[in-house]
Amino acid sequence: MADPSVWQTIGPFFPTRLAEPSCTDLTELRGKPARGTRITLSGQILERDRQPMKNAIVEIWQPDSEGLFPHPADPRAASADPHFLGWGRCATDANGWYRFRTIMPGRRADNAGTRLPHINMMLLASGIMRRLTTTVFFGDETVSPDDPVLTAVPPASRNRLFARRAPELDRVTDEAYRFDIVIQGAEETPFFLD
Amino acid sequence: MADTVYQPYIDSKQTPHRVQGYARTFTRTPDAFVERPVTLTERTGPLGVEQRLAVGSADFTRTSPDGPRAQGPLMLLHGRVVDDCDSPVAGAMIEVWHANASGKYIHEDDAFNAPFDPNFTGGGRVVTDADGRFSITTVKPGPYRAGPASWRAPHIHFSIIGTSWMDRMVTQMHFPGEPLNDFDMLLNAAPDGTPRESMIAHALPPSIEAGDASAFEHVFVLRGHAGSGDGG
Repeated sequence: MADPSVWQTIGPFFPTRLAEPSCTDLTELRGKPARGTRITLSGQILERDRQPMKNAIVEIWQPDSEGLFPHPADPRAASADPHFLGWGRCATDANGWYRFRTIMPGRRADNAGTRLPHINMMLLASGIMRRLTTTVFFGDETVSPDDPVLTAVPPASRNRLFARRAPELDRVTDEAYRFDIVIQGAEETPFFLD
Repeated sequence: MADTVYQPYIDSKQTPHRVQGYARTFTRTPDAFVERPVTLTERTGPLGVEQRLAVGSADFTRTSPDGPRAQGPLMLLHGRVVDDCDSPVAGAMIEVWHANASGKYIHEDDAFNAPFDPNFTGGGRVVTDADGRFSITTVKPGPYRAGPASWRAPHIHFSIIGTSWMDRMVTQMHFPGEPLNDFDMLLNAAPDGTPRESMIAHALPPSIEAGDASAFEHVFVLRGHAGSGDGG
């Protein structure tokens, strides 16, 4: 077995044209709309001392509205929404904000437990030598108390992994959710060993 | 199909999160990490991500097929993407960016005192073939000053989207024999021996096929390999 390549930072000069604005809208593919409830997911990325982190890259990966993935590892892939890829990328603005338009992910029974609606999220930036990964949850813990990822997190910090309804950010067609990330210090977002 | 096997990264074989002399690595690293299981969400990823990320020309030395060439020494890179058991990763999205021959990036935050090159595209995207291979044509990047007394050796940045959440990779490729390799903060942040050496490309001998270009090859290893089929 060979060792994986060595992770490195994207550095300060990741080209803005490799984070096309079109990558922030997951709600259609090949000209047709995805199934499900349209939401926006936005928030602010804060580094130490709660300083906004501009020029960071946020990437997300999520199942479709029924919890399915268009991928051979998913035995139910054939039923996955053909107009939902589930992947997005957004560069943070000068105040550290990202924003995606997507579909509310579905619940799904996994072999290790029933997954809450969730979106995997990772951060890349100058000074982040290896990606930082976390998971954003929707709803509340009582819906799927055995979610294998949420239950891996110490109980006291689980609430930091839930997106909050943010009616003040609603748009005509989208329910808005907010998920801020604190990279380090008090109220630090739980990140996963990778 | 048997589940793909993903091992956690081994700290002694990866760059540390905090690098002495690189202040941002200290303000952008969490104090703690939580172990998580590998669920279906981690085993999957965006196949066909080129539906979102437009793939362009693999020649970064001109902005149009008949346009003038960028300044600097022409180079070819033959890359190969494999999993950690050396099986090719087909259809991987490779995103590439680097400084021009003078050491200048196409980025508003780059304050290095060196000229832009209007014919250099700064990088682009390519997808690996069935054997995990890809090739790009570019100009060899120049070194540049990155701090009061800190220079980067010539290097090319790579971002790779493979087949899952687990095999995502961002790395940098250096060049053999560069004097600044001994002083590059990031190359030398990689553990000595195999990890550091794995970041340096191999030069290929001059050839008729390469023509006016110097040629290099480099292997990118993504985490994960096919399971044995017995659940192991």
